[in-house]
Amino acid sequence: MNNLNPFAKPDHSKPTCMEMLQTILDGEATRDQKEYFKAHMDHCMPCYKSYDLDMALKQLVQSKCCGGEAPSDLIQKIKNQIEQKSS
Amino acid sequence: MELEELPKQHYSDKVKSEIFNNEFLPHINSMYNFGYRLTLDRDDAKDLVQDTYLKAYRFIESFQKGTNAKAWLFRILKNSFINDYRKKSKEPTKVDYQEVETYYNSDEVDRQITPDLRIESLKDMIGDEISNALNSLDVDFKTVIILCDLEGFKYEEMAKILDIPIGTVRSRLHRARNLLKEKLSEYAKSMGYNKA
Repeated sequence: MNNLNPFAKPDHSKPTCMEMLQTILDGEATRDQKEYFKAHMDHCMPCYKSYDLDMALKQLVQSKCCGGEAPSDLIQKIKNQIEQKSS
Repeated sequence: MELEELPKQHYSDKVKSEIFNNEFLPHINSMYNFGYRLTLDRDDAKDLVQDTYLKAYRFIESFQKGTNAKAWLFRILKNSFINDYRKKSKEPTKVDYQEVETYYNSDEVDRQITPDLRIESLKDMIGDEISNALNSLDVDFKTVIILCDLEGFKYEEMAKILDIPIGTVRSRLHRARNLLKEKLSEYAKSMGYNKA
């Protein structure tokens, strides 16, 4: 059964739930791994709960911590400095 | 030298300018946000980004046109921060990575360490709480969250940006996510979100 688990490590040891979840969260999962984990969550309540919470947190970080735009004068300042240094 | 060690390229001024405008400058907003999260000061962030772009231009021939400019720029910014800014402010907080690795590799990995945080209370947080919690993390931990969750870098890219092995990227991210949840759990408790 273990060889069907796309998360299985090179030494064929069984990955833990947390290891599988982290691969998904970190954006490193392959399509097969995502499918497998989806099916796994159907019978693993702790994974289901953790996945929901962790994904919600990840999305919140994405929506609340993007800093918007750099100050409008910054690009011009950088360009001026480069011009000054190369002249 | 802090930059990628690639065979040196030879670019005309026109090509240099094209690379700078088309490959480097489009990342300025992400760079500024990264700079701000590291310094927690908008003026310092501006200076840090400016220094980074000046260095990137100065060493543009160490960059291979068409490759991963964003990772290259993030690496320069991170190194500038460590070398120039971090020293100015205070001694960096020492993080016990041995403890982190031990934790991650132990049999306890499936233990949930932040059961208090609920999805409902998370969604009630307006914005400052999330941002403040991220800002309050030790710089090494907030960096991996920014690189992974905000900027979408892969393990391999993060390992190059931070000069650490992929296994350390993974364990640091794991620890960082738990620390962030702990912080938010404290906020949730202090605001009474967790009352049933």
